[in-house]
Amino acid sequence: MNWPQLLVTVLTLGSIFGVVTLSLNLQYARGGMINFGIVAYFAVGAYTYAIFTQPPPQGLDQYTFGFGWPWWAASIVAGLAALVFAAVTGWPTLRLRGEYLALTTFAFAEVFHSLLLNERRIGNGTVGLARVERPFNDWGPVEEKYVFAAAAALLLIATLVTFRRLLASPYGRALDAIRDDETAATAVGKPAQQMRRQVFLISAVPVGFAGAFYAMYTTLAQPSLFTAEVTFFVWIALVLGGERSVYGAVLGTVGLVFFEEMVRAWPFETVRSAQIAAAVEHVVTGLVFIAVLRYQPLEAAARRLGTSR
Amino acid sequence: MTFAGGSTALNGALLEARNISKRFSGLQAVGGAGGLSFSVDRGALVGLIGPNGAGKSTTFDLMSGVQTSDTGSVLFNGHDITRSSTHTIAEQGIGRTFQTPRAFESLTVLQNVVAGATSPGESLRWAFGRSWRSHETATVETAEAILRRVGLHERAAARVGDLSGGELRMLEVARQLVRDPTVLLLDEPTAGVHPGLQERLAQLLQDLHRDGMTLVVVEHNLHFLLALADHILVLAEGELLAQGPPAEIRADPIVISAYLGDGDVA
Repeated sequence: MNWPQLLVTVLTLGSIFGVVTLSLNLQYARGGMINFGIVAYFAVGAYTYAIFTQPPPQGLDQYTFGFGWPWWAASIVAGLAALVFAAVTGWPTLRLRGEYLALTTFAFAEVFHSLLLNERRIGNGTVGLARVERPFNDWGPVEEKYVFAAAAALLLIATLVTFRRLLASPYGRALDAIRDDETAATAVGKPAQQMRRQVFLISAVPVGFAGAFYAMYTTLAQPSLFTAEVTFFVWIALVLGGERSVYGAVLGTVGLVFFEEMVRAWPFETVRSAQIAAAVEHVVTGLVFIAVLRYQPLEAAARRLGTSR
Repeated sequence: MTFAGGSTALNGALLEARNISKRFSGLQAVGGAGGLSFSVDRGALVGLIGPNGAGKSTTFDLMSGVQTSDTGSVLFNGHDITRSSTHTIAEQGIGRTFQTPRAFESLTVLQNVVAGATSPGESLRWAFGRSWRSHETATVETAEAILRRVGLHERAAARVGDLSGGELRMLEVARQLVRDPTVLLLDEPTAGVHPGLQERLAQLLQDLHRDGMTLVVVEHNLHFLLALADHILVLAEGELLAQGPPAEIRADPIVISAYLGDGDVA
């Protein structure tokens, strides 16, 4: 097996999805909001990046806008776009709680997915936007994929540090208070509704950045990449890593990406063995999940990393 | 609006209910035909009594913004707070505890009290900086002093899940005291509290009263309340049945027949 390649892939994808899991952790574990439509914010980041970097439409292109901006400017716009999208979707949905919010956000993501699929003027419909610009192509001696992996890891670390800092402040304590008992928290002057909305908006920004990175990684922004599967993937990662710690979110994601990529990269000798492996994969996945949830090794590791949070 | 005069003198209504009422799915919880009206003077220690279902806790809900009155208005310091949100009312200086004690389960006892105060670090603008740290240090000190005052200082590091029902009530009082509210509404503070702690609570309420805090106490333990309060409001079926000084209430035949029963409140 090509271990260096596997590790670079795990670092890159683990960092990109780790950012999404971290944001989910902030929304759910601290903000008490269940977002089953997180993929939509990820897609907004990816599409925004693609639209802002690509050239204006030509030939068979059906999309309307292509601005040809540099990658860094488009990345910033991707984060802002996710913020705006969160503001627009959060306004009607955040009055809802628990499973109602979960269903509404899920529905929002499905509607958005359908919009990308059917409205070709946004991003060529099902075809999507190909040849998305990858930065770091001319970074001298270091191979581009390593620079990109490092950049993704940097985004993850920046998100982690920012969230940790926020949560370690009285702001984080107020969030905990609101999640534990909203009535009691408002009775000591905590503006619960407003703070929840803020958390929803703040956590969308890194997801937008991660979406931009994902578009760079795949060089593609296509509806089929942004299905509910992504949402469930990060939720599973969050559950595996343990929701009570920011490190758990990261470890859960990296663990899950590692497992998936390892299965994908396994060098099978014959077609037959690959077929058997494909059939067994889901069974093994299930067993691994059960084992992880039963013994919680990732959560324990996260606790050792940063006592309690 | 400011009031002149001594801190403990009864110098005008601080908190006022004017024809308030609340209906829950057809059931009148508070206020009959004309609504419920009463006022609480600045610096007073008012007892709110009445049988179960009289609307005492709902009245607290209406005054603290947890529920909104269907009719009339609630005035605090002359300002209409009827439709204000719970957190703005709390910020304006009305504190309250709940009939079923509430606590922040993921925080320690000390952190529960500290979380009661409003820190500049709770706004996004300052949370990332360091400027809130000095405020935090001061709040922790205040919180520790308050825990000592309510007898919970030895439990400061405990999880709230390990507290008894009585200790939870004291914790709730402590969480409000750290805010130094102008008015404190206490909903059955002695329920489930063991006698030793009750004495401490009585002493605490007397001290707060003497220091000028306005207190409204809902209580079933009339021995406890009639000894402390300087004004009693009697509620029955959401309406004001009687009001006056404890001695008068104790002797009022209507109150005795409706609520006190066979005069077991000697």
